[in-house]
Amino acid sequence: MSTDEMVRAERPAATVVHRARRALSGFDRRFLPVLGTILTLMIMLGVGQERYSTERVDFISMKLLSNLLVDNSYLLVLAVGMTFVILTGGIDLSVGAVVALVGLSIAEMFSAGLPIVVVLPVAVLIGTTCGLLIGVMVQVFDIQPFIASLAVMFLARGLANVISVNSLKIDDDGFSALAAWSLKFGEGRELWRINASIVVALSVLLIAFLVLHYTRFGRSVYGLGAGDGGAAVNLMGLRPARTRVWVYVISGTCAGIAGVLFALYTKSGFNLTGIGMELDAIAAVVIGGTLLSGGVGFVLGTGAGVLVYGLIQVLIAREGLDSWWTRVFIGVVLLAFVVLQRVLAVRRR
Amino acid sequence: MSPTTAPGQRAAGPARGSRGADVWREVTHHGLFWPLLALVLLILACGVASPGFLDVTVRDGHLFGQLVDLMRNSATPLLLALGMCLVIATGGIDLSVGAVMAIALAVSLTYLDNAADPSAPGTVLTAVLLGLAVGGLGGMFNGAMVAGLGIQPFIATMILMVAGRGIAMLITQGQITTVTSPPFKSIGSGFVLGVPTPVVIAVVTFGLVVLLVRRTALGMFLESIGINREASRLAGVRSRRTTWTVYVIAGVLAGLAGLVYGAPTMAADANNIGLMKELDAIMVVVLGGTKLDGGRFYLGGLLVGAMLLSTLERAVIIFQLPSQTTPLFKALVLIAVCVAASPTLRAMLRGRRRADRSDAPAAPVETTPAQEVTA
Repeated sequence: MSTDEMVRAERPAATVVHRARRALSGFDRRFLPVLGTILTLMIMLGVGQERYSTERVDFISMKLLSNLLVDNSYLLVLAVGMTFVILTGGIDLSVGAVVALVGLSIAEMFSAGLPIVVVLPVAVLIGTTCGLLIGVMVQVFDIQPFIASLAVMFLARGLANVISVNSLKIDDDGFSALAAWSLKFGEGRELWRINASIVVALSVLLIAFLVLHYTRFGRSVYGLGAGDGGAAVNLMGLRPARTRVWVYVISGTCAGIAGVLFALYTKSGFNLTGIGMELDAIAAVVIGGTLLSGGVGFVLGTGAGVLVYGLIQVLIAREGLDSWWTRVFIGVVLLAFVVLQRVLAVRRR
Repeated sequence: MSPTTAPGQRAAGPARGSRGADVWREVTHHGLFWPLLALVLLILACGVASPGFLDVTVRDGHLFGQLVDLMRNSATPLLLALGMCLVIATGGIDLSVGAVMAIALAVSLTYLDNAADPSAPGTVLTAVLLGLAVGGLGGMFNGAMVAGLGIQPFIATMILMVAGRGIAMLITQGQITTVTSPPFKSIGSGFVLGVPTPVVIAVVTFGLVVLLVRRTALGMFLESIGINREASRLAGVRSRRTTWTVYVIAGVLAGLAGLVYGAPTMAADANNIGLMKELDAIMVVVLGGTKLDGGRFYLGGLLVGAMLLSTLERAVIIFQLPSQTTPLFKALVLIAVCVAASPTLRAMLRGRRRADRSDAPAAPVETTPAQEVTA
C-alpha cells in the first residue's frame, strides 16, 4: 500500500510509466498464482534433474510426464470437478468416498455378469447421482455445501461398506484390455506410453477448460463465486440456481469417472480407497492457484497443481524418505501457496 | 441467524390459534427439537431391541451400563465439538482437530516412554500438560493463519490436518509407541466417584466453557464476529485477538480429547488416532442446531449432538447390523436433521398449511430464544 501512495505522489511526472506498469501488473496478478505453481513445478523438476539424472537417463523426460499422468489421472479428474465447485465458493467432501463406491460397484456389476458397455456408464452415473444429491441439498434446502457433501460422503462410504468390506478383484476381459491398452512411443529406456486413463483425464481437463472459459455456464460459475452468493449472477439474467446444482453434478460425475480410472489403475474395488482423497483434490486445486472463497482460478492451474502434487511424491520416493514426509511436504507447499495468494490479494487491494 | 421463522411475515391478526398449538409450534421450531427427538427415539428403540439397555447398575462402587458407556463414548466428540462450536461461531472451521489429537497423544506418550518412571504422578502430570500445550501450539498456528494472515479457515486448518499426521509420525518415528502407566491410563478408563473419568472431564470442561462464554462477554463477541467481522471490529471488539484465542481453545480441547481418547489403549497410533474425528465433531455441532455460517451458537445442543452420535454408533451394533454400515446411518440422520431444520422445508410445509386455511392467519409467534439452552 505504501508503494501505491508513493507512486500516486509522483503521478504527474510518471503517468505513462505508471499506467504501463499498472496494465502489466493487472495482467500479471491474475495469473500470478498460476505462475507460482508453474515456477514451483520448474524448481522441483530442476532439483530432480540435478539430483536424480544419470548419464544415460535424464530425470526430466516424457517418461516422467507419462508416469506422473498415469499415477495421478484419477486425481486430475477429481481436481477438475472440484475446481468447478470451489469456483462457486462451495466445497465437495464426498469425492473420495464416491471413488470407493464406484470401484466396488464396478466389481460387483462385473461379477453379476453385466457387459462393460453397461457397467462403465452406470458407474459414472452413480457419481452423478451423488453430485445431484449434494446439489439439491445445497440449492433447494439451503444446507451448507460442507455439511451436504459431508452427509453424502458418509452415505457413499456406508454404501461401499454395505457392498463389501473386502477387496473385490475385477477380472473382466474387456476391462482388463482397456486397462492394458496403451500407445507406445520411443524405445528402450526412453519408452513412454499414453494409456486410456491419460486420454480420459486430459479430455476431461480440455472440456472443463472450454466450458469454463468459453460458455455462458462457465461465466455463471465464476459469477456465483465472485458475486454475493449468486445475487450478481441473478441480476445479470443468468441462472444461479441451475448453475449451482450443475457444478455439484459435474463434480459428482468427475468423481464417477475418477472412480472408473482408479478401478482401471488398481483393477479392484476396495471400501477403504479414497479416504482423504478429497483433501488431495482440494490441495491440488489450491496449489493450482484457485481461491477457496471462489470466483478466482483457472482449471489449467489445477492441472499444474496435480503435477506438483504427483512430483512431490516422486521426489520423496527418489530421496528414500519415509512416506509420512509426503504429508509434511504437501502441508508445507500448501502453506507456501496459501500465504503467497494472501500476499497477492493484499497487494491487489 | 437464529433458527426462527421470520416473525414479521406472520400477520398479527386476532389470536385464533389455541395456546397449545402455539406451544407446540414453538417447541417444534426450536433448533434442538429434531435432534432431541431423534436421540430419544433412538434410545427407546435400543431399549426395546435390547431389554437391558436402559439399566444402570452400581458395581464395585462404579456406575455400569450401556447408557454409562454411551456417555463415556460421547466424551471425545463433546470435547472436540466444544472447541469446534466456538470456532464455527466466529464463522470459521477447524479441520485440524483430528491431527492435533494424534500429535498431542504422540508427544505425551513419547515423553512418558522416555521418562524414568512413567507411573510417577509428577511425570504423568507433565505429560498431560505437554499434550495440552502441544494442542495449544497447533491452535496458535491455526489462529495465526486465520486471524493474523487472514487466510480462509478451511484451508488454513487443512494445512495442519494434512501435515499434522505426518508430524505425529515423525514424533513417534513411525512406530506405535506403547507405554504402561496406570495413572495416565486412568484418564481414559478410570472412575471418579463412580463416574467414568472421561465423562467427568468432559462435563467439567463443558461447564468451564459455558461459564467462560456465557458469563463473560466472550460469547457475544464470538457471535458478533461470526455475523459481521468488520462491523464488530468497528464496534470495538478485538476481533483478531478473540478469533486467535478461540483457535487456541479449540487446539487445547483437541489435545485433551486426544489424551482422553488414547489413554485407555496407551498406544500412540499416529495414523489412526482421531482419524475423521474432525468430521464427527462438525457433525455434532450441526446436530446441536448451530449453523456453519457463524454467529448464533448453542453449546447445550452439543450434549444432544454428542449423545446422538455415540448412540447411533451403538445402535448399529444393538440392532445387529454390520458395524461398517455406521456411516450410512450417520448420513441418514445428518440429512434428515438438516432437511427437517431447513427453512425451505418449513416454508413449503407452512405454505401448504396456510393454503389449507388461508382465512385463519396464525397467531404472532415470538422468536424462540434458544439462549436458555446454553445455561
